[in-house]
Amino acid sequence: MIPFRAFRLAGASARSVRLVGILAILGIVGCDAATDRFAANELHGRVVSFRESTGVAAAVEDSAAVVGELFGNPDVPLLPESFPDGLIDLENLQRAAGPVSSDREDVHFGIYRAHCVVCHGLEGGGAGPAAALQNPYPRDFRAGIFKFKSSPRGEKPLRADLTDLLVRGAPGTSMPSFARLPEEDIEAVVDYVIYLSIRGETERRLQRFAVAELGYGDERPDSTADRLLTDGEGHFQSAEIGSAVSQIITDVASAWIDARPVEVPAPPVYSAEAELDAAIERGRQRFHGPVANCASCHGKDGNADAVTLDYDDWTKEQTTRLGLTPSDADQIAPLRRAGALRPRAIQPRRLAWGVYRGTADPESLYRRLVVGIDGTPMPGLLVQEATGATGVTSTEVWELVAFLLSLDGRKDLLLTPSSRQEG
Amino acid sequence: MVESARDHSAAESLPPGRWLHRWSIVIVGLVWPLIWVGGQVTTYDAGMAVPDWPGTYGYNLLLYPYQTWLLGPFDLFIEHGHRLLGALVGLVSIVAVGFAFFSEPRRWVRWLSVLVLLAVIGQGLLGGARVVLADRTLAMLHGCTAEIFFSLCVGLMVVTSRWWWERDGSEPESSGRRDFRPGAGLMTVSLAVCGLAYLQVVLGAQLRHVQPTAAPGGFTHLVMTHISTAFVILALAAWLAWRLSRAAGQNGERSAGCGDLTLSRPASLLLIFVLWQILLGSVTWVARYGIPWWAQVGPRSASYLVKSQAFAESLMITGHVATGALVLVTSVFLMLRLWRVRFAANQAIERAGSAAVVL
Ligand code: HEC
Ligand code: HEC
Ligand code: HEM
Repeated sequence: MIPFRAFRLAGASARSVRLVGILAILGIVGCDAATDRFAANELHGRVVSFRESTGVAAAVEDSAAVVGELFGNPDVPLLPESFPDGLIDLENLQRAAGPVSSDREDVHFGIYRAHCVVCHGLEGGGAGPAAALQNPYPRDFRAGIFKFKSSPRGEKPLRADLTDLLVRGAPGTSMPSFARLPEEDIEAVVDYVIYLSIRGETERRLQRFAVAELGYGDERPDSTADRLLTDGEGHFQSAEIGSAVSQIITDVASAWIDARPVEVPAPPVYSAEAELDAAIERGRQRFHGPVANCASCHGKDGNADAVTLDYDDWTKEQTTRLGLTPSDADQIAPLRRAGALRPRAIQPRRLAWGVYRGTADPESLYRRLVVGIDGTPMPGLLVQEATGATGVTSTEVWELVAFLLSLDGRKDLLLTPSSRQEG
Repeated sequence: MVESARDHSAAESLPPGRWLHRWSIVIVGLVWPLIWVGGQVTTYDAGMAVPDWPGTYGYNLLLYPYQTWLLGPFDLFIEHGHRLLGALVGLVSIVAVGFAFFSEPRRWVRWLSVLVLLAVIGQGLLGGARVVLADRTLAMLHGCTAEIFFSLCVGLMVVTSRWWWERDGSEPESSGRRDFRPGAGLMTVSLAVCGLAYLQVVLGAQLRHVQPTAAPGGFTHLVMTHISTAFVILALAAWLAWRLSRAAGQNGERSAGCGDLTLSRPASLLLIFVLWQILLGSVTWVARYGIPWWAQVGPRSASYLVKSQAFAESLMITGHVATGALVLVTSVFLMLRLWRVRFAANQAIERAGSAAVVL
């Protein structure tokens, strides 16, 4: 046996060695990049500046400062006083934030930085270190737009949509499946994503508010009463501005609370193979027909042979909607300098391959067809009582779903169990 | 045959310090697994699974209850395991210094063993500082210096080997193809491969320990440089393998058969490692970031799903780190041997006082 004292001695000398070592090393290398504040959203500032034809430097700076005060920083996130209850669990939030570590009970901290930051970035702006090499690019949470969800177009996803996405991942993109993470960690990081989204959307709205309502530009408004000015603890000097800011936060947050799934009528159940095949054929024709006109984007029989040139909404906001040509490097240079990734055209899915990034059960597909895909050119169908020139009936939507399912050999899902066995 | 002649002469004079040599093989054999385990710590981002250092949760490193270590969280398992293995390598390095001062006649080799020991201590301190300061930059540095340490160990192994002793240029008969003298070109290429292999290590470490605030442009550049350098290394390694397979020849003629096997074999091995490494690098990319859109040519590639924390994938990613280390040390191994052959040839030329063939 080695005498215990030897260990104690070793421990003591190790401590002094450690001190000397640390000092020596610190002298040589710098430390990590600071993570005690979120970078201001310069990119959206550029967009506002283009739109309003004005400078925005002061608006960007003050909005970031205010949001920083209200929402804390990447190491210690906070929720503003006016934040509605029940949406985000603060404890979860703070566990998901900060640097990566774990303890003996296998509790993990800094989940976002361990698993998401490399793609989505510290601010959730979708421009993490590895982002530029991907297509599609990682999501910018700050715009508050999400693709794979069950709520109506333009609305926030349900919490379950996000948890589901994290467990499932998005095949064909770099968005991983986190099925191996414990459920609590997924919940925590979902809280953090919602937080980043609300925080980011608030900042964007504040920038616009500052420019449009308060007269901000490159300079601050002359009167301090018109400034986004606080006492350093989140209380505004102007009560009016204070309540306007609370209103913005409440609006953004309640959109998350109010999100509801789109109702899906029960699918028609076909009791005979021939009946189903006829429905699939009708779906196929509608796919190529004038109302749904899926083939104009997805190609004949979903073969992706249609020529399209379009962009997603995140890209459009920074380019076409400002009158800029995405492929013109000179035109978009100011936005690139502010952090925009190089615009990439969006490709309609090659449906014939039967590969889905979102959930692909019949009910979800129905929803996706009537809602479309938020943030992308993929439109939603207008569901009507009767077939018309602009819309389709819900049965007809189901027939389209049947056609989609037939592409990857899953049409049986729409057969009654008894006829399925016969088939 | 040369082999039997060598056996004969070897029996008469066993090289001194051969225990040091054997022991250095043990070190090399331990450091590679250590790189694996350290690589897993990074792959799982488990560097902060133990908050303190040099202790583990207040326990002395060696006294941490093994049940909680083995049965506890995976992150703690690999992080503490890395510390234990590191400590073992430290102890083994101390013994190596003992062997060196006991039996090694060459002073510079004795000091080399001391350097190995200092390097392992420094490596431990760096790892400790990474934990105590919770600093990723230090983790990156720790990853880079690990490979220098590994190279030093391999260096110690090479210079204490019997092969090294035999190629001293004193006995022309025993030094194999004494007419072969690696020229400046060969030396430059082999040094360049060492340098580029280490550059790959550094670039790879930047990729793995990227700061959360890093801009996408920088990362993209790193990736591009890492991939281009891989192909430069491939070209140079292929040239070395080809060149050394036909190295020796009288009066500048290339002999048709194999060159000096003690050079051509490591060169071929290097080439194999580099090819394997490029394959693993591609697999690593896919495991982390999925199949790039331009390579999605069918339903299978278009539906590839990245799985975070998947074990098989983690082994491939860490395997890329570990094979990177093999590429580096094999190139160092080859460079040292070439250098020795050149030295021996120079000695022989001097002795003979006549110009030998220079290739
Ligand atoms: C390797 C890169 C990568 C990592 C790591 C990553 N993501 Fe993503 N993520 C993406 C990409 C790419 C998309 C966009 C997919 C698309 O548009 O189809 C995305 C999309 C998303 C979306 C939006 C989905 C929608 O419906 O619009 C959310 C939410 C999300 N990621 C959350 C996370 C979280 C939380 C983590 C960490 C636990 C994470 N991601 C880690 C690449 C990544
Ligand atoms: C204006 C062009 C356009 C039209 C018309 C269109 N789509 Fe799409 N569709 C897209 C794009 C773009 C995407 C890819 C969205 C993304 O990035 O995830 C897409 C994606 C899809 C997906 C894949 C969803 C997933 O989870 O991966 C399905 C299914 C789909 N479309 C079906 C249809 C059907 C059925 C129709 C006709 C009713 C239709 N689309 C009409 C452009 C279009
Ligand atoms: C001779 C060829 C190569 C060598 C020597 C090499 C070496 C390395 C090393 C040592 C690391 C890890 C560094 C560390 O953690 O300390 C690494 C990381 C990496 N390498 Fe390579 N590499 C080579 C080729 C490639 C190629 C061809 C690719 C891609 C196609 C690639 C992709 C990567 C990636 C993505 C990482 C980061 C892994 C992660 O995120 O965990 N490498 N490389």
